[in-house]
Formats: sequence, structure tokens, C-alpha cells
Amino acid sequence: MQLRYYLIRRLLLMIPVLIGLSIITFVISHLVPGDPIRLAAGPQARLEEIEALAREFGMDKPLHVQYLNFMKGLFRGDLGRSMLDHRLVRTDLVRYFPATLELVLVSMTFAVIIGIPVAVASAVYRDRWPDQLSRIFALSSISMPRFWLAIMLQLILAQYLRLLPVSGRFDPRTPFPCHRTGLLLLDALLALDLKSFGLALKHIALPAFCQSLTALALITRFLRADVLETLHKDFVMMARASGIPEQIILFKYVLKNALIATVSMLGFLFGFSLGGSLLIETVFDWPGVGLYAMKSAMALDFQPIMGITLFIGFLFTLVNLLTDAMYGVLDPRIRYG
Amino acid sequence: MDPREFDRVCKLLDEFKAGRISRRQFLRLAIGGSTTVLTAILAACRPARPEPMVAPTPTAVLKPAATPKPAIEPQLLIYSGGQDIPTIDPSDRTDYSIGASTRAMYDTLFWEEGFPPELKPMLCLDYEVSDDAKEWVFHLTDKAIFRDGSPLTAEAVEYSFRRTLRFRKPRSNALLPIMTEESVKAVDDYTVKMTLTDPYPPLPRVLTQPIMDPKVVKDHEKAGDEGAEWLIEHEAGSGPFVIKRWEPGTLYEFEAVPDYWGGWPGKGHLSGFIWRIIRESSGRRIALLAGEVDIVDTIAVDDISLVEEASGYHIEEHPGFLTGYIKMNNQREPTSDVNFRKFVAYAFDYEGLVTYLGGHGPLLTGCLPDGVPYHDPNVQPIYRHDLEKAREYLNKTQWKDGGIELDYVYVTGLEFEEQIGLILLEQLAKFNIKVNLVAKVWPDMVAMSTKPETGADMMMVFTGYDVITDRWFEDQWYSGVWDRPEGGGYPSASFFKDQEVDALIMKVKVTVDEAERARMFKELQRMIMEKLPEVPLYVMPNILGFNDRVKGYKYRGLIAVDFWPLWIEE
Repeated sequence: MQLRYYLIRRLLLMIPVLIGLSIITFVISHLVPGDPIRLAAGPQARLEEIEALAREFGMDKPLHVQYLNFMKGLFRGDLGRSMLDHRLVRTDLVRYFPATLELVLVSMTFAVIIGIPVAVASAVYRDRWPDQLSRIFALSSISMPRFWLAIMLQLILAQYLRLLPVSGRFDPRTPFPCHRTGLLLLDALLALDLKSFGLALKHIALPAFCQSLTALALITRFLRADVLETLHKDFVMMARASGIPEQIILFKYVLKNALIATVSMLGFLFGFSLGGSLLIETVFDWPGVGLYAMKSAMALDFQPIMGITLFIGFLFTLVNLLTDAMYGVLDPRIRYG
Repeated sequence: MDPREFDRVCKLLDEFKAGRISRRQFLRLAIGGSTTVLTAILAACRPARPEPMVAPTPTAVLKPAATPKPAIEPQLLIYSGGQDIPTIDPSDRTDYSIGASTRAMYDTLFWEEGFPPELKPMLCLDYEVSDDAKEWVFHLTDKAIFRDGSPLTAEAVEYSFRRTLRFRKPRSNALLPIMTEESVKAVDDYTVKMTLTDPYPPLPRVLTQPIMDPKVVKDHEKAGDEGAEWLIEHEAGSGPFVIKRWEPGTLYEFEAVPDYWGGWPGKGHLSGFIWRIIRESSGRRIALLAGEVDIVDTIAVDDISLVEEASGYHIEEHPGFLTGYIKMNNQREPTSDVNFRKFVAYAFDYEGLVTYLGGHGPLLTGCLPDGVPYHDPNVQPIYRHDLEKAREYLNKTQWKDGGIELDYVYVTGLEFEEQIGLILLEQLAKFNIKVNLVAKVWPDMVAMSTKPETGADMMMVFTGYDVITDRWFEDQWYSGVWDRPEGGGYPSASFFKDQEVDALIMKVKVTVDEAERARMFKELQRMIMEKLPEVPLYVMPNILGFNDRVKGYKYRGLIAVDFWPLWIEE
């Protein structure tokens, strides 16, 4: 099957997936005990005020009508309003998502740039000190509590050494010169503003490092195993026998074959991370989707909860689709079915 | 003439000469505070003022306006708060972050100073009140101006109050029981009359409504929303600061209005301030000590010593108004039995709590915190850890052998609330009573607090009503706030119902005589402690960390700060 038809089929399949997701999220968020209307109305609210607020948000109607109204709004591109601050969910998502995207992009890039060479070195020098070192690093990255590490890094690098800022996306005293994409690093580069680029980089360094640790550890361990396995395959022996230099064998033939599983995992991790990292975004006050989701969930603010879930669900399935499509590029033997 | 009186008139003369008050205000203020008789005569002679009126108790003192040109170069201050500013609509809510920002951008009729907070005139220079405390007339300054230079008149005051009353959001909670939209009326350009539905002597205390420019609000009206959508992120005020940057969830920057009509009270003033959100307490402390921010609020008790030990920083710790109670369900056994409630109160280990809090959180002496007017520090009975007395009271109940289970509900993730539950668990276990610690999210607790049937056996709740004494009683212990079709809110989660207390709460609200009010509030405190609907625990202290370069801070009971009096001096 051609790639084009495969993509169209998968895109069409996303529709029932997202409808299913919306039903599940809607039902769960309404089954959870709590009274967001009363919370928004305040403790001294009278019956008529509570009823008026419920009417305003359509929560006086039966559940299925509420759901249908939400879906009608969704097709118009309207994700509703927050009950707590009356902001448009769509506007808030547009505001918060670039921060999460930037954090995920930087952390994944960092994980890939560091993880792949470490994994290859670890496989090539199997059971020698580079391998042992990478093993210790990977295990501690996975097992170390993320919030603890984040606070320790803040203490050392921000409070004591004053090398990096404690939190936030940019220096509060300096207004960011331009907002084109919402990705501060990219915006600074587009504006050729190196000072702002440096400031944005300093701010993202710590959260991106903490965020990247899981991906880094997984890449290191998974890719090491795949490289080791590939190194023992016949075509590698054939290449060696043909006198092809070791570096070309390693990076042109072995790595390309070993990367398939890692790419699949990276796609999953990337999609998953786009939902926002609650811990990292909270500790570093990174104004992303994770922070927005937490704020909404704590207040049982239904509309943002629905909006965030569907948005992240959409992105997740999209990233998975793109990952699947990449298999064919990495391994031409793979056919789309 | 009394020398203090002479000084006061001299100061007023200086104000008049400097152009900060008008001739009309000077004359009114100079004579207004002299003697009651003279004021009464003047009031009688003034044709524009309604009758019957008497001179109010507070002396009309100008807000501490001062140096027209600051000697110190204004600088930008960075404040780090744990709370976001979700909206700045002056008719919406009163979270501490919203309060701090709206106070910076809007003017109000009165201003509070010191602790316990003392009322000072701001937009309102003086006022009169009828004998029955139902009719109030407020005289406004004619100096206040909005951003476009147009005068802030009585019409703006009328509009602002009416809008809030129409919206019926939490901001109107203190106003709705005593007034309707029609209660607020502009008599002339600088006189506002409020005719209350019920007498209410402490009215000025609840007149914290920020005054909006009606023209600006109407210009941004969309589909009849009275500017509600626009005002979430924009201002229409006359205060000392305006919005410069608005980045929701991250930071909010405000810029000073250098020629603010009210002047600046300190040696200098800020060029502006940034409200930067750092949600984690440890993050705020690190940011302060790293020199990234100048003030941080809600510092964790564990972090106090770290800030105090650092050179160039200091802590301001003061008792606040946010008060913790273990609310017990008075409508369901076993906590419906007063003897059982007293048993719990005597069984609780207060010293254990104080130790856990590291001494940062004074125990309540009575049902009200210190600083609330009419608080009686000698009220009896007072409950402290006494297992013999606990046993004595438990024996008076049908559960003297224990063998029962009680739920203690607290906000999930709040460690200090969990600790209180653990103390209960440990102490009540000595009497064969099992306490189940149930962590819930706040919206769930709010829903539970609606009716006694859904209410928890015990629930940890923090409430606070500043200096409005009657609200402390009415919102928590008046049965009318929960025994109604729509149910109640979390402050009344003990579902207390007592005819005697109900009657006295309603009576004190409409009592004008000061001595009588004091007597009634004292009696109410005694009754609450005797009937003990809940266990009063402690007052949450307000702990702020400061860089020493910040000057002009004076505590007045707020979790955050007022930015207007602050300046930075290296």
C-alpha cells in the first residue's frame, strides 16, 4: 500500500479514537465527586446564583446534552470557557502549548544527541568502563526522583553558584522582543537576537535537562542492546570481511538498522511528553500544558480538562502516525499495510 | 486649642497649600474633627446632606500622601507569589493575588493601615451615618482622576458597586446581605448615599470595592457583558499602577503612574512591580536568596531560618486571619453530642501541633483570632490537651467504650492538615476510637460541605474574614447559612444550629450601640466555646521573605503586600 493511502486511512481512524477519548474523559470527569459550580460561585452563593452559573455553563442540562453541546462547539473550534476565570480554553491552549513543545523539543534533542553516542560507545566497549559508566548513569536517571533532582539543581546552580535562573521561561525584567511562534529560542533566532537566545537557553537548560533524563536513559539502554544485536549479524561480518572501515560499518550500517526500535520508542515518548510534565513544569514554573492541566484538574474545571485531553490525544495519535510513517524511511523493506 | 488638634489643622493647611486637597475639603476636615458639637452644627447647616445624621466616629485623616517628588530613584520590584492572578475583574473574586493587584490599580473608598487594621480615608474623606446605621453618606475627594484625566465621581462609585451587586460573584458576598443595587446612589458629583436594607454599623469595613471608570468599562462591553471579558486582563481604575505586561500563568507587570493623584506615602516609590508566579515554596525561597526576586510570600516554616541566616534578607512573620478549625458535623452522631465534641477538643494534642509547626502558628484563644475586633482573649472555657477531662466528657456519652470510627477529611497534599489528622488518630486511639484519614480534592470537600447528610464527621477547614467580626459568626455558626434549600458552604461545615446563638448573631448585626455590640460579641464567643461546634486550632501566620533593599513595608493582615507604600533603597 502506498504511503499516501496509509496516511489517509490512519487519519480517518483518528476520528473514532478521538470521539472515544472525548466520551471517556467526559464521563470520568463528571463521575468524579465534587461540585465545581459551587466552588466557582463561592461559599455564600445563593441558590439562584448557583443555578445561574450552572445555566451559563450548560451544566443544568442532562449529561448527554452537555456532551453533544460540547461536541457541537468542538466542530466550530470552540473548546468552551474555564468556569473559574472565564478564559477561553482555546486561547489558553494556544498560550500554554508552545512552552511545552519547546521544552519537549529541547529535552528530546538533548536526549538524542547525548543518548545515541553513549549507547553506541556502550555497545562497542561492552562490559568495559564506558559501558559501566553509562549503565550507572542510565539507572540513576530512571530511579532518581525528578522533583528532588530539580530542587537540588536549583539549589546548586541557581542559589549557590548563580549560574542559571531558578525558574520561569525568560528573565522577568526583560520583555521578550518578539512572539512569532511562541518558541522563545526559535523566535530569538529568527529575530537574530542572540542576547535573548542566550537568556532563553539559560532558562530552559535546567528543566530540559531534568525532562530529558527518562528519554536519555531509555535511549542509552535500548539502543545499546539493539546495536549489540546488530553487530553480530551476518551483514556486519560481511562488511568487515570486505574491509569497510569500522566507523562506516558502525554509523552507516549498524546504527541505521538498530535505530528502528528506538525511533518507535522516541515517538511514543515525544507524544507522551507533549501532555506536559507535571513535576518539571511545577518545580520550574514552566508555563506549559502540564501546569494548566493540573490547575484545571484540581478545580474540576471541566471545559479545560476536556479541551486539554482532546488536544493532547490528537497530538499523541498524530505523533504516533508520523513515527509509523518513518519506519519505511529507515528500513525500505517495511511495507505499509 | 488642643496641641494635637492644632498640629492636625497645620498639617491640613500644608496639604491645602501643596494642592493635594481642595479648599472645600480643607474647611470640612479642619472643622470636621474639632468637636462633636461643632460637627453636628455644621452638619445641620449643610443643606446638601440628608438628615438625620450624626458625626461618625473615625476622624477624617488624609491618606498618607506625602512627597510630591521622590528623593530616591524609583526601581522595579519583583514579587514572587505562590498564587496566579486568574482575573482582575473588580466585581469577581477576592483571592489574595487578585486583592493585591486590584488594590494597586484601583482606588477604594477607604484604606487600611496597621495591625489590627485601622480604617483610613482614601477616596472617601469623611462620612455620616444615621442613628439606625442604615443611611450612610460618603463625601469623596475631588482630586481623584482616572487614566484619561477625567474625574472620579460619585457616579463611578455608584456604577462600581451596582455592577458588583448585579454580578453576584464572591466579591459581593459581604454586600448582598445588606444592600441592593438601588441602595447605592450618587447624590451629587462627590457625594454617595447608601441606604441599607438592614442596619450595619461596620459598613465602611466591607466597602473594599475597587472603583471603575464606567466609560472605559462600557467602551469594552461585548454582548451586554458589562466588560466582563475585557476586565479579566485589563484595568479601568485610578490607582497608582497600570498594567504593562500580562502573561497569564507566568508573570504580570505593573508600571507606576508617576503623577498618581494620591501621591506616594514613602521616601520613594517603585517604578513598577512584577508579580512573578513561583508555585513551589522552595522555589520562592531559592529565587529570593539567588537575588532573582525582592519579596516572596507564603514561605514554608522550614525555610524561615535559611532566609534569616542569609545576609541581606529578612523575614516578616505576623499572625494572619486565616484560621484553622476542625469542623465537626453537629447534625450526625457521635459529633452531634456536645460532650463528644468536648472530648475531641480535650483529647487533641495542641502542644504536639505547636511543636510540628515549629512555633510558627499561634494557638487560638477562643473562637476568633487576635486582631479581630471584639476578640476576647480571656474567653472561657478554653480547651487544651487533658486526657482526664477528655475521659470525663467521653463518659458522658454513649460511646464511652469507643469502638467507633470517624472520618477526618482534609485537602489532599496539604501536609499540615494531614499532620492534624495524625494527631487526632493517635490521641483518639487511646479511647478505642479509630480515625480514618480521608484526603480529598478541594472541590470535593466543597460539595461535601453543602448538607449535613453529605458532610464529613470531621473536616479541616481554614476560614478568615479579616476584621468583619459579624461575618466570622454568621458565616460559620449561623444556621441560616446552611439550613436552606441550596445548602451551605465550607465555612459552615459543622452544621451548627442553636436558636440562642442564631438570635444573638442576628441581633448584634443590627445593633448600633458600641457598648452593647461589645457585650454581645463577648457573649457570643463564650457561647461558641461552651457549645463548641468545632475545635478551634490555630492561626496561619503570614510569612514573607524580603530582600533588605525593600523599604516601606508595614503589615496590615495581608498574605501579600500593598505595593503603593513600597520603595527600593540600595
